[in-house]
Amino acid sequence: MAVIGIPQTQIHRLSQSKYVDSIRWLPSVSPLQQSAIVAFFDTDADSPSLEVHSLDQESKTLDLISSWVPPSRISSLKCTQAFAVASTISGSLHVFSATEAQDPSSAFRSVVAADGKGFHVGRIAGVDLMDGGSNECVSVGEDGRVNLVRVLDGSYRKVFDGNGLVSYTAVKWASPTEFVTGGCGFGLQWWDLRRPGSAVAQFKGNLEKGRTSGIIHSIDVHPSRKHTCLAGGSAGTVFAWDLRYQHQPIILSGTSNDTAAQPLSESEVWEVQYDSYTKSSMNNFSSSKLLPAMFCSEDGILGVIDQGEEPTELLAEPCAINSFDIDRQNPSEVICSLEWESIAIVSRP
Amino acid sequence: MPGLAPADSAGGGPDSVNGALVPYLPDSHVSAIYPLRHGLNPPISRVSVSWGRGNSLRVSVFRQPDSDGGEVGGKVVELTLGKSRDGEISDTQWRKIAYGSVSPFALLQSRKNSAASLSRMQLSPSPYHLEWWEYVMEYSKDISALLGDPKSVGAPLIEDPNEVFIKKSEEPSSLKAAWELMEMFYVDKLSQAWLPERLVDWLADYDSLISVDLPTVHSKLVEFQSKIVTLQVIEDDPRYWDLISSALAVGWLEIVTENGLVEAVAVLISKMPRMRPAIDAGKHGECFKAKPDFVKAWERWRAQITKLDSSAFWVQCDNRQTREGLKNVLQIMLGNVDVLCSATCHWMELYISHFLYIRPFTAGLESMYSLAQNCIRLKHTSNPHKLMRLMIGILGENNEVVLSECSRGFGTWMVAHAIELLTAGSNEADFLVHEERENLGGISLEELHRLVYAQLLSSHLLTWQIAPIYLTSCMRQGMGMLEILLLKQPVQENQVLLKNLEICRLYELDGVSSRLMEISGMYHWKHGRKGCAVFWLQQAQDEVRLSKIASQLFESVGKSISGESFKQWEGLIELLGSEGQPAGGLDFLHKYRDFKKCLQHADSKKDADAARQAVESLMSLMRNASTPQRFWLPILYDAVKLLSWDKRPLINVSQTNLLLNKLQELSLARLRPDFVEPELPTHALNHVRYSLATNLGRAILEES
Repeated sequence: MAVIGIPQTQIHRLSQSKYVDSIRWLPSVSPLQQSAIVAFFDTDADSPSLEVHSLDQESKTLDLISSWVPPSRISSLKCTQAFAVASTISGSLHVFSATEAQDPSSAFRSVVAADGKGFHVGRIAGVDLMDGGSNECVSVGEDGRVNLVRVLDGSYRKVFDGNGLVSYTAVKWASPTEFVTGGCGFGLQWWDLRRPGSAVAQFKGNLEKGRTSGIIHSIDVHPSRKHTCLAGGSAGTVFAWDLRYQHQPIILSGTSNDTAAQPLSESEVWEVQYDSYTKSSMNNFSSSKLLPAMFCSEDGILGVIDQGEEPTELLAEPCAINSFDIDRQNPSEVICSLEWESIAIVSRP
Repeated sequence: MPGLAPADSAGGGPDSVNGALVPYLPDSHVSAIYPLRHGLNPPISRVSVSWGRGNSLRVSVFRQPDSDGGEVGGKVVELTLGKSRDGEISDTQWRKIAYGSVSPFALLQSRKNSAASLSRMQLSPSPYHLEWWEYVMEYSKDISALLGDPKSVGAPLIEDPNEVFIKKSEEPSSLKAAWELMEMFYVDKLSQAWLPERLVDWLADYDSLISVDLPTVHSKLVEFQSKIVTLQVIEDDPRYWDLISSALAVGWLEIVTENGLVEAVAVLISKMPRMRPAIDAGKHGECFKAKPDFVKAWERWRAQITKLDSSAFWVQCDNRQTREGLKNVLQIMLGNVDVLCSATCHWMELYISHFLYIRPFTAGLESMYSLAQNCIRLKHTSNPHKLMRLMIGILGENNEVVLSECSRGFGTWMVAHAIELLTAGSNEADFLVHEERENLGGISLEELHRLVYAQLLSSHLLTWQIAPIYLTSCMRQGMGMLEILLLKQPVQENQVLLKNLEICRLYELDGVSSRLMEISGMYHWKHGRKGCAVFWLQQAQDEVRLSKIASQLFESVGKSISGESFKQWEGLIELLGSEGQPAGGLDFLHKYRDFKKCLQHADSKKDADAARQAVESLMSLMRNASTPQRFWLPILYDAVKLLSWDKRPLINVSQTNLLLNKLQELSLARLRPDFVEPELPTHALNHVRYSLATNLGRAILEES
């Protein structure tokens, strides 16, 4: 029997001629416009670029609005309502106005930048900025440094210097004064600026006996559940760490000896985000149940995990999906960067 | 490393997936001198040259080390060797083709493997399964779709005077043309019966490509089109009639009928019988699948033409140009060899006109080949296009020639992928490409071409991840080359390393993956990222290197692991703490940290429980064989606080004796030349000795 009239998930693949390092939606300046900020790397010319493209709603094609040349490849990219922030592999951080970036008549340039020897040594692995937060951007690096950059004037201050004894690979604000970092060995650290000097809580990465260790690649914290952080990393691992039950991480996905369910992915989970579009299966709102989460992986999966349910697959590509972003104003729309120099746009019904 | 200059391209395009093996000619005396812009001031003391990635050469230029300061000591310049390709397909497009062909290739290989295992088990394939050539056909269609849209000379757009004859569209690619040729001759069993008509269609799509320097019907049409606007009455121009005949001769019926031809002739042309199952909408001709039906229609059609040719109409037609032009058109339809020969330019066009008007039943490669030879004789070209060379190879049933033309004309991608087409239905070709050859080191031609293609993929930053798909399909040398490829990838960036490790996981190359993790661990260690280094060495289970770096690490621990700076070590120590992970003696750090913590706690709170915990921690440290000797005295010195606990002795007699023994061992060890003296106050040793003695006394009293 033919099913007619049920809207389907639409997938548009847009082939690029450059490697896509990272991709984010920009907040819409008008209801008719949808734009994305893309970190490209042209391997032939050995040149990186940060570009703003508007998305044509009908044809699903990207049109270049503006472009900026960073000092080196972009290592991390985040967007809020007001700003876009990008960090580079050479250790600099750049902040852009989100509205100016989408205005073809204004010059697309970083309003604030931080770099230098005292800032980071080498690659900045993660940056984050918070809507309605302290207007400070947190940056972490493989050098073990944690810095805060003031968006207003670009001045920065050191929160911690691990001196290379520890490396951080991801960061996410939890509240205006708290943030979470992640690193090697599935370690997570909870920081509170009111109690400076060191992390106030640590998750030591002992997820389960016999499970291989790995690196955290991405962290998300939901504004309504600030005590829980969602983390994704090596070996298809997605788990949640609740500050109130610090020794009991909740494993949502990953290779394990005893789980009956086959995980969607067994390779690196490059990014995780709470998915506000997928409605949780539980009717009665239970605060102990985790909110649905989306992830993308090295083996080409874009999927949604809802605790206690079979995971669903949105996209299965023959190459890696390196980053994705859910449009906050229109959460049915997901944009992904693919390994084979292309971008995919997933429009959910 | 000295300053790094940006890659400086001497010859143009960077390496890409369309390389070819170039023979080395030792007797060629051609040499070229290119200036090297390295930007260093003289004097230059040393130049070193090494291979970089792909076909780039890395030239390191060094200045005299003692020359004036302030300037960089040297530079590294990368030179890309070789000319850029003919430019038909850009590097970006090549990569797109390389990406896109991975899935069809992998699918076909897995089908081949399962078919092989089915036949090994002597099971006949289930009746629902397709024939093998149909799988190859599916593969071929997928690949063909990657190579661009089919282009045809197509229906004219009357509205635009500049596009009367030929629609301007994207240039068709000769790669796709070559692929389609191979597909129709080797794979598509359904087209075998109407190969001539398939070739008619093929020429309509690719006529613009087939000639290097001489005109073709297509190029004549394009040329005339540009002049058409200036003509008053088109029928008065002899060139118009020439072109109408030419277009008709190669079967472009639509162009002929829609450009102002006399109705009667136009109808006749559009009713031309065609020996083919179907024809695209908008194209002319009546299709016949069965030969007898076709023959009947063909004879009827020819009779109508003859009738028209001899009708009274021609006497009434007073325009000389029109009359002669139309007469010519009819002669073409009647298959007049001389008229066909003068209406066509290229031998391929003449060949096609033979199929259409003289020998519609040509079948079998042998007769097709001899017809082609005749056409070539009539329209000889000294410099045949690569498509034509391939065509002759196919018609001549010479598989070696076909393979070498694929490789020479269309590159390594083509030959690696087109082998599947060549072998789809022919045992002979199958034997040719699968025979293991001694002169190739025991590998087959198929493996050779896949290895060469994989090498090319490996040389590019973005395509190396595809190479394993091709390497693993090579039985003999594939896995060995895969290991080399993986070990050669840079490990500086965790992202790239992790992608590499993922490939190791997929192909179960645990040894390679450990090796990569070791290399990465040492890289991070050298660059001061101790945490990362320890993590990767732990992942690699590399006890040897872990214990080596442990001794270096302990040196800095001795100095800094007190009070405030302890927090810096926290992250690293947590990493070491995970159970079941090898630590190469580094787990000592974990215990040491715990001891320090307890001690601090006991000291600040004056808490007996905490102090007892500290004692337990102390004893486990001193009992543990992995506790480095250089830490014994600092630990014992720290323990003085516990030894002089005011309320009651915390350390019993046997424990004190153990500590005393350690002290004794230490004084012996100090005589050895390699002993490292810890940085402690000079009185530390005496202080410890005195405290231990006092405690022993107190403990004996307490226990008695």
